[in-house]
Amino acid sequence: MTGTRISIDPITRLEGHGKIDIFLDDEGEVTETYLQIPELRGFEKFCEGRPVEELPRIVTRICGVCPEAHHLASAKTCDAVYHVDPPPTAKKLRELLYSAFFTGDHTLHFYALGGPDFVVGPTAPAAERNILGVIGKVGLEAGKRVIQLRAGAQEVVKILGGKAVHPVTSLPGGVSKGLTEAERARIEELAKGFVDFAGFTLQVFEDVVLGNPAYVDLITGEVYRQQVHSMGTVDGQGRVNFYDGEVRVVDTAGKPLIQFPAKDYLQHLAEHVEPWTYLKYPYLKRVGWKGFVEGQDSGVYRATPLSRLNAADGMATPKAQAAYVRMYEVLGGKPVHFTLATHWARVIELMYAAEHTLELATDPEITGKDIRTLPTATPDEGVGQVEAPRGTLFHHYQTDARGIVQKVNLIVGTTNNHAAISLAVKRAAKHLIHKGTAPDEGLLNMVEMAFRAFDPCFGCATHSLPGRMPLEIQLRGSDGSLRRTIRRP
Amino acid sequence: MKSHTVVVGLGNPILADDGIGIAVARALEPRLAGTGVAVAESAWGGMRFLDLLTGFDRAVLVDAIQWRHGPIGTVYCLTPEEAIPTVRAVGYHDVSLGLALQLGARLGIPLPKSIVVFAVEVDDTTTVREGLSPAVAAAVPEVIQEIEDLLAEWGVVEGTRLTRG
Repeated sequence: MTGTRISIDPITRLEGHGKIDIFLDDEGEVTETYLQIPELRGFEKFCEGRPVEELPRIVTRICGVCPEAHHLASAKTCDAVYHVDPPPTAKKLRELLYSAFFTGDHTLHFYALGGPDFVVGPTAPAAERNILGVIGKVGLEAGKRVIQLRAGAQEVVKILGGKAVHPVTSLPGGVSKGLTEAERARIEELAKGFVDFAGFTLQVFEDVVLGNPAYVDLITGEVYRQQVHSMGTVDGQGRVNFYDGEVRVVDTAGKPLIQFPAKDYLQHLAEHVEPWTYLKYPYLKRVGWKGFVEGQDSGVYRATPLSRLNAADGMATPKAQAAYVRMYEVLGGKPVHFTLATHWARVIELMYAAEHTLELATDPEITGKDIRTLPTATPDEGVGQVEAPRGTLFHHYQTDARGIVQKVNLIVGTTNNHAAISLAVKRAAKHLIHKGTAPDEGLLNMVEMAFRAFDPCFGCATHSLPGRMPLEIQLRGSDGSLRRTIRRP
Repeated sequence: MKSHTVVVGLGNPILADDGIGIAVARALEPRLAGTGVAVAESAWGGMRFLDLLTGFDRAVLVDAIQWRHGPIGTVYCLTPEEAIPTVRAVGYHDVSLGLALQLGARLGIPLPKSIVVFAVEVDDTTTVREGLSPAVAAAVPEVIQEIEDLLAEWGVVEGTRLTRG
């Protein structure tokens, strides 16, 4: 290839970390950007030969960030493998655990990762663009509330899941542990705090982000606009649901394109392969793979908090619904294609997760004793899906008649977004790089902001592309010689 | 009475060499039984450091690192500030170790005044399997020795009893 290549690597050049390559033509304009992400190898082999009911506990080890999402996707897959439907109380207990987890995860993302760019400012020194900077702006009390919220969410997960981090509760057909009245009352108390906190966070977004015209311009600007299809799980009434329902995809104009139960995912999704990476790019079969391009005719889609809101008809809880309506009013109707609005969508989902935690904690069935349907059918094959914080997560297992795992396939949230993230990075790079020159700090942070909105967790690898880590850009001549290094410690 | 010192092994026990911290923690646990030193495992750093470290006066962290400053199996002794590139301390989904400590200080959370990080140069952290590479497994006794020497130096345990253990 002629021209120039710019690479963005983690500064420490740790093996196994992701890398962004930006290729320029001879005029110095961006032609392509590639995300190169390492993949965990051998997961399938690791699972093969094990009893399938062990997988909900094994898959929590795939990823240190969202073990709860893998646990529940796996639990639903095991239900499907054994053709068993958990009783209502069991489903609600799983969902209660999951709602509390979402509350904690979305909170952390907003205050520690996504928020700093807006609350502290995208042009603030990198050293201040962090959670400390946010606390500096919003107040020490807010910092304490973040810590309290996080501890509360963990406490709920521990009560229900058996462990604070890697839940062990789910079994094919239900859960192993019910809820006592005392535990329920404690969760209700915590959940009230979650709802208060989510309201506070929505207000912070309103005051600090929307109150600043420069930030609104940034969100609605061309650099971070991305017109692709939107995926999300919806309940029977078309509302956002994290745990259960069908997967719906709406097109770039917001019209329903496909809707399917998890078991049909292979009929609707295919994976494009590129020669330069072993990671695959899922796309919508119905539209087809047209390359790394946006638009109605491209099979590229997004599976993020924003796309979930785009795909759904609304939120299932009142305060979240009000916030949902407000977002689309401000941003000019559905669907929204501003990648940075993903942060807003995440805060709206935080409210939904908090309200739903409270709703479930006060549900008369939640302390029911019927928490498992014993499987009696012969196990064979199943697919399960949940909405992980970072996107739709599919698990697919095949077993022999004894329930011993023969085959495993996973599509994790970030994999669904792989092509969209590449496109988002490309757009930011195209905007910033002209005639081979790029602003140092600007390029680093604006490219980072493009993928930070997705909070990528590639292949749930531990060494994924970092959302906030020191970066290095290498600008190389067409002969491969190093021209310039841009580095931020 | 709550222990004043904690040893935290960081890593993923089913991700090849990434399990080094967990392997060290599991080997240390019986050796430190009865000494009052707490031993913990964690798959993640970031904000979780606040859960793991709160209330302790001193802490030892064990993690994998891949920066090729030495051959596979090299043991590095780092300060929290130097430990940014260790596998679990980066916290790219929320905060780094250094930032977690600053945050704790700002919010008045009691965190250890002394923190030492032992990082082991590792080979494979992307293959899902149990067990360490031979060169990494060979480093386990050295890390244990280093930690026990440090605990003895801190006066937390009696050095002779442990180091001969």
